[in-house]
Amino acid sequence: MLAQLRPYIVTSWHGHRSDANIPDVVKTVWRWKFQPPRGGFPQRQSNVDLALLNPQGILVHTFDAARNEQYGRRGAIQQYTAAQLHRAAPYLGLNNRLANERPVKLPDLSGERGIRLLVSLGDERMPAYRAPVVEVVPMAKADWKPLTWPDKERVVPAATLKSWLSQIYPPGVMERTNPVTKVVYAIKAVEGELKLSSLESKGGNRQAILRGVVQLTDEGPGEFSYQGILEVVLTYRNGEILPQTLRGYFDGLYPRSDRMHRDIRWLPLQAAIESIPE
Amino acid sequence: MGRIVFIVCFSFGIASIVTATDMDAKRILDRYQALRPQEKKLAMYRLDWAESLDVALKRTAKEKRPICLIIIHAKYGDIASGHC
Repeated sequence: MLAQLRPYIVTSWHGHRSDANIPDVVKTVWRWKFQPPRGGFPQRQSNVDLALLNPQGILVHTFDAARNEQYGRRGAIQQYTAAQLHRAAPYLGLNNRLANERPVKLPDLSGERGIRLLVSLGDERMPAYRAPVVEVVPMAKADWKPLTWPDKERVVPAATLKSWLSQIYPPGVMERTNPVTKVVYAIKAVEGELKLSSLESKGGNRQAILRGVVQLTDEGPGEFSYQGILEVVLTYRNGEILPQTLRGYFDGLYPRSDRMHRDIRWLPLQAAIESIPE
Repeated sequence: MGRIVFIVCFSFGIASIVTATDMDAKRILDRYQALRPQEKKLAMYRLDWAESLDVALKRTAKEKRPICLIIIHAKYGDIASGHC
């Protein structure tokens, strides 16, 4: 299916029907989607639609990502999407020949400095949530200051690194979404005392290690929080006090509430963390 | 059970926090590599993403290519990052 999408410029839009400034193409898609069902029998609907536009920007085909008789069967969504793309190809000037594969291009900051986090939730019941989340956070010079070269071991409050540590939360966890605004609860507090220690200098660059336990608390009710171990290696050019590179990981557990079994499942929440540009 | 294992792991982790060594740095970088998703899992980043519909429409006029617009009926959802 991804191979069939290679010729396309891919983009996304999200919003509600009550929003102002809904793009015309979305209005058209939703007019069809939300029209009264024929014969009075509602069909399966998801909250995700795909719209295919020709190079003139005109809507040629649209379909609900999960309107599918085989819904629930492994691979059904991919097969349905592939079939719909195949069906639309002739009307978009595509001949269903596969375009060349592109190299992986992760989100970046167009050359600006920052930190990239690749976050994964190990939920075996929800394979879609195991797909990694990739976030990039810009880092100004001042944002690096808590990580200045440690002449001797010192404590770094995790709160000073909130701008990027607060991106460590899983995707699609509905119970941590505000039921009124439908917006995910943001991380309001990042806590923990991290130790920053230098390593013996070898060759050109110096290295230091930052590590400790980080606790993240969101803004929702119940002081919902989770924690994990953070360990990162920082490199510094000789004579410079701000880090040149940062690489490391977060390894924690996320308490996902299971409404069906009235239980809490502790799922691995992990992140690879790296400075950009590499 | 999971929580108990986690607390035990924490204890080992904290016990090892004595002094930083080259071995620690290697172990951390190895763990970073192990947790960094392989290219197969990052296949959606082989697609040609535009940051917004407006940008996509401007590009399609120039590049004569079709657009695939993913519409999410939700107040929140960044499909490009995956946080949705």
